[in-house]
Amino acid sequence: MTDVLQAPGLDRVAIELVVNGVPRRLVVEPRETLAEVLRDRLDLRGAKVSCDAQVCGACTVLVDALPVSGCTFLAVDADGRRVGTVEGLATDGELSPLQQAFIDQAAFQCGFCTPGMLMAATALLEEQPHPSRDDVVHGLEGNICRCTGYEPIIAAVLQAAGGDMPSSRREEVPAVTSAEAGGDPLDPGTEPVESQQ
Amino acid sequence: MIPRFRLARPATLDEAFAAFEAANGDAAYVAGGTELLQVMKMGFAQFDTLVDLKGIPELHGIEGDGGGLRIGATTTHREIERSPAVADAFPALVGLVRSVANTRVRSTGTLGGNLAFAEPHSDPATLLLASDAVLELAGPAGRRETTVSEFVVGPLSTTREPDEVLVRVRIPAAKPGEGRAYAKLAFFERPAASVAVRVTVDGGVVRSATVAVGSLTEVPELVPDAAAALVGADAGDGALNEAIAGGIATLGSLDAVEDLNGSADYKRHLAGVLFASTARAAIAEAVGHD
Repeated sequence: MTDVLQAPGLDRVAIELVVNGVPRRLVVEPRETLAEVLRDRLDLRGAKVSCDAQVCGACTVLVDALPVSGCTFLAVDADGRRVGTVEGLATDGELSPLQQAFIDQAAFQCGFCTPGMLMAATALLEEQPHPSRDDVVHGLEGNICRCTGYEPIIAAVLQAAGGDMPSSRREEVPAVTSAEAGGDPLDPGTEPVESQQ
Repeated sequence: MIPRFRLARPATLDEAFAAFEAANGDAAYVAGGTELLQVMKMGFAQFDTLVDLKGIPELHGIEGDGGGLRIGATTTHREIERSPAVADAFPALVGLVRSVANTRVRSTGTLGGNLAFAEPHSDPATLLLASDAVLELAGPAGRRETTVSEFVVGPLSTTREPDEVLVRVRIPAAKPGEGRAYAKLAFFERPAASVAVRVTVDGGVVRSATVAVGSLTEVPELVPDAAAALVGADAGDGALNEAIAGGIATLGSLDAVEDLNGSADYKRHLAGVLFASTARAAIAEAVGHD
């Protein structure tokens, strides 16, 4: 998209993005970050803004399947692209294998980093369906967790990739469905949102 | 929040210059935004207009160039990491971009943005300095070429004019018998110390060497004394240990900067450790090409 350049630059930009498979049309200020738009306009609050400096990974979302820091990625740069958030991982109330693996492996405690971890790992597994342990560590080393010590997270990603999970452990842990876990109260539904500021 | 700004999205360099001028110079160019948006968010910079360079085709992409490389300024670290042309021509650069910051920054951050921001702890600047890379700039006044050492003049400071755009980086082809290596140690997102070594080996002897250090000094620096210590060393026996020890000794006089990573002495020590491993890696690659 090319804008007229003789005049001052735009102070409002109409963008179209596909968020978790749902087309969205919004008018945003250029300064609005993707995290702000997702959380404050679209009510998708899975991505957390924590360090606000691209270091902690709590705001990790996917743009065209690549992980980005929502805190420092302009919403206008998501124009015409696919955005993935943690709210889009479950399908029809069924957790993704990665989400289920996080439960099986007790890969979260406070849960604050978990949406970012899940999205970073989702991107990793999309590119490398069968990562080595080193691949997982490399892919997630920009996502900080203060609770788990990381080992359960690595185990969960390897489990989701198929294997590396002791079968005895899996049987110990009862499966939790997303319905039992409270479903997704933040799912904004499928209505396209038109927003003007 | 990021301070309010207007956005221009030019499709050509001329449009970019026009947009910059339309803001009466109160503008900045932006690509991945991983540096600029961060400093704006922290209140260190504010502009009437940001001119987004990502829509300008000329600035993007990687081409082989007779054994060398031409890398457009808005090419991301991730794109460089996955480029077959870079893997073929410059494996050390692949290893470098693979370890820049984190996967999110590599998805969006660009080579040109990294160089133009001139953070003293830049990974690419150090290796590109040792590799005799040429930086191509374009501005309303015309085009010019420069080198990393002429370009980076201080922390966050370059010789780029505010209305100039970094267009691409040209990396010369490796010479016969040449090896290049880069290594860093990082406790945080950016390196505490980094070293790049380039050597040529002929007949089993190191014939030429270039050594650059980064992150421990205010700007990436060539260290001719460390390079000289390697020249003439036999690449295959104990004499190399002596040469490397000699090189490490010369790093003791570097004007290192104390920071969160450690004291100046500690960072000089890190540079020595990295120099040893990097010199060995570069020489091993060169021997393979000898």
